[in-house]
Amino acid sequence: MKLARVVGTVVSTINAPDFDGRTLLVCDLLDPSGAPSGGYLIAVDSVGAGAGETVLILDEGNSARQVLAAPGAPIRTVVVGIVDAVTGEEPAADL
Amino acid sequence: MQLARVIGTVVATVKSPGLEGVKLLVIEPLDRHLVPVGNQIVAADAVHMAGPGELVYFVAAREAAQAMPDPFVPVDHAIVGIVDAVEALAGDGPGGSVPGDVPTGAPSERRSRRRS
Repeated sequence: MKLARVVGTVVSTINAPDFDGRTLLVCDLLDPSGAPSGGYLIAVDSVGAGAGETVLILDEGNSARQVLAAPGAPIRTVVVGIVDAVTGEEPAADL
Repeated sequence: MQLARVIGTVVATVKSPGLEGVKLLVIEPLDRHLVPVGNQIVAADAVHMAGPGELVYFVAAREAAQAMPDPFVPVDHAIVGIVDAVEALAGDGPGGSVPGDVPTGAPSERRSRRRS
């Protein structure tokens, strides 16, 4: 799983049927200290994450489809958690 | 999933079984500020409505084939949606907003605008 920060949404009316009614979040990937590490992913929301929140992203198809209870959906990336804190040997992240 | 711009089409007469009738488009992956990043790739069009110039999002790996009518096809990138708008949420820091040239109109409006 990956740490990321929610920075936006994608609005789409023409999409694969499995995306109907799902929220797509634009998420900047973070390193463990909370700094953006460069990349981003568009993820399907499953926890009600919002602007600026640090989240946990799952980027593996089988687990993603299981979380969303959507077998056969072309979905690989899902927001599965909202992060309260990350601790470790690095300076504690201020989320 | 990532954002991309459709920049061309691919025509192939001789194809692997299962790819008949699958529309293949050349796409240019974009970062979230809509700046091209990385190599251009060929993706299958799972929404059947994407065309050159369109802003789309695509899925890679095994999940790409899941987007096709028959999920057992040799497809590794598929366009799964056409983007109406990328909206920066409140609370996004400086430099986090997307450029203002993102199309925001209804799909039909956008199409006609592009053609003119």
